[in-house]
Amino acid sequence: MEKLFNKILVANRSEIAIRVMNACRVLGIPSVAVYSDADLNSRHRLAADESVHIGAPPPRESYLDIDKLIAAAKETGADAIHPGYGFLAENPGFARKCKDNGITFIGPEPEAIELLGNKVASRIKMADAGVPLIPGMKGSETDLEVYKKTAEEAGFPVMIKAAAGGGGKGMRIVHEASELEGAIEAARREALNAFNDDTVYLEKYIVNPRHIEFQVMADTHGNTIHVFERECSIQRRHQKIIEETPSVAVDPDLRARMGADAVKVAQAADYTNAGTVEFLLDENGGYYFLEMNTRIQVEHPITEMVTGTDLVVEQIRIAAGLGLSDQFKNLTQRGHAIECRIYAEDGDNNFMPSTGKIHHYSEPSGPGIRVDSGVQVGQEITIDYDPIMAKLIVHAPSRDLAIEKMIDALNQYKLLGVKTSKRFMIDSMLHPAFAEGKTYTDFIEKHMADRDANYGDFKELAVAAATAASVMTKKTTAASSEGEATQPTVWSSIGAWQIGESIHE
Amino acid sequence: MSNHEFIYDDETIASTCDKTADGVTVTVGEQKFTFVPVGDDCFRTMVNGKSLVVAAVQSEDTVYVDIDSRLIDIAEPSEDGFAGGGAAGAGEKDKIFAPMPGKVVKIQVEMGQEVEEKTPMVIVEAMKMENQVNSRAKGTVKAINFAAGDQVDTETPIIELELDES
Repeated sequence: MEKLFNKILVANRSEIAIRVMNACRVLGIPSVAVYSDADLNSRHRLAADESVHIGAPPPRESYLDIDKLIAAAKETGADAIHPGYGFLAENPGFARKCKDNGITFIGPEPEAIELLGNKVASRIKMADAGVPLIPGMKGSETDLEVYKKTAEEAGFPVMIKAAAGGGGKGMRIVHEASELEGAIEAARREALNAFNDDTVYLEKYIVNPRHIEFQVMADTHGNTIHVFERECSIQRRHQKIIEETPSVAVDPDLRARMGADAVKVAQAADYTNAGTVEFLLDENGGYYFLEMNTRIQVEHPITEMVTGTDLVVEQIRIAAGLGLSDQFKNLTQRGHAIECRIYAEDGDNNFMPSTGKIHHYSEPSGPGIRVDSGVQVGQEITIDYDPIMAKLIVHAPSRDLAIEKMIDALNQYKLLGVKTSKRFMIDSMLHPAFAEGKTYTDFIEKHMADRDANYGDFKELAVAAATAASVMTKKTTAASSEGEATQPTVWSSIGAWQIGESIHE
Repeated sequence: MSNHEFIYDDETIASTCDKTADGVTVTVGEQKFTFVPVGDDCFRTMVNGKSLVVAAVQSEDTVYVDIDSRLIDIAEPSEDGFAGGGAAGAGEKDKIFAPMPGKVVKIQVEMGQEVEEKTPMVIVEAMKMENQVNSRAKGTVKAINFAAGDQVDTETPIIELELDES
């Protein structure tokens, strides 16, 4: 097979960087890691064929520094850059700079990123293309009266959103006209702080919505297809934590209509490479275009599991100018897949960010279990970066079996030293509403708010386990008093490692 | 048999541990648990007739435990009566350090005062919790470097002792 690129630089870190490096290896393309001071010993750096140091831990001085990344690509002879997600993945300036320097940006054209990154402009474009939108303003307005009029036409509750928004920042739900002015001001302030742009707009707030998104792939030869849906309704503060496919709320007819509209969105934006079209689905099967994300998504593995595809490999092929692989021309959904995100946050304490050192790390394995991870024993989890440490993905013949498998996988996934939301996610999936598929975006507020994780019941067992560990563990410094072996084994001294990194793929 | 003490959620809980052929049996209050190592930091135990693998690893004065995906931090009281800190000068018994950066709530001794081992010396507030720090040796207070309300780090001793030679 002819090499598609000489070398690919991965302008990201942690699990997604490793994921992209795996795809490079599948294609026989050497990969280059970049790393900040904080990531000198991180897994992503060691997973690449070579690596370039790009600066201090704050992202602005390393992973967001466009000039350093371009210089690193030139220095190592990389002729393509994969941006992963986050950081510069949806920065049209970065995509353009790559192009100007003769480096292929593995993603869409800068113009498409620019258009779809502007929520107001993209809505106007998609409305013209005939894609259904949530009733609301056609564009941004400054006149309060226009907001009032639009809100009354669409019907309360309504939502104020930031034009440059994302991640829930600059968003406000308004239940009556009197709250409108204050909410607009608050949303403007928040948007200005988060995005340096205080443009906001108003739209109808959908009650009991589901977040349904469609994976889209488009080559540079005019072929645009969808790779089915993902339901990502389980969110805390507008951040997804559990995703699944297929969605229980999408039947073949709805799938065909939403999929066709997703393709329409991509085509209207002259989109190429992998992207995701997000919709809200209401209780009556009505759906509304939200936005298109111009990157590989965190939750892409569940699509790969049910379709047997490798979306990142396909991204690289498309970027090299190849047409869509034959595999993508006749896709089917097989079984059910779920992803749980392992964030460094305490799910049993209001999702408080958790930092610290990882003292134990082990992953589940077995048929239909995949772990995309960026962490290892001994690693410090700091506040410098996105708190996602790993993703657990399971695949089973049915939704019920996938839920069972995921709960078991979460229990087998052991990460000690930093708090995670494992128990919270297990309890979410054990809730009858989850089993019934009543997974609306308010699931956590509605069903998990007064949950009790019953820590008290495990007090004695926890102390007993601590005693056992203290007596038997080789790592304790105090154990030598009883003359026990304190020499670390080779396994504990080299930390977590995996041959080839790809055993879970 | 060995005796142990741990701190769980501010409560000090005693346990005893007996070695068995392939692991340990730990008694906590009325309850008895058997642990058999099954790989790095993981132990198989039985709870209400059900087999369960718990993970537990100690680092400094904290044992991190995973029980059915519940993540619990258990502190081991250190010799000075303080739970959970890796104070800078752990070896220097003539110096009293804050276990972690925080605020002095109360100095409990005076200059020239003679103290025994485990005499309460200072209360430090860190992460919204008050921590009692005790003397770890017999001696006389020769310096008090901070007062109530002062911010302290873990590098500078709050109180210094002249140790008794005996």
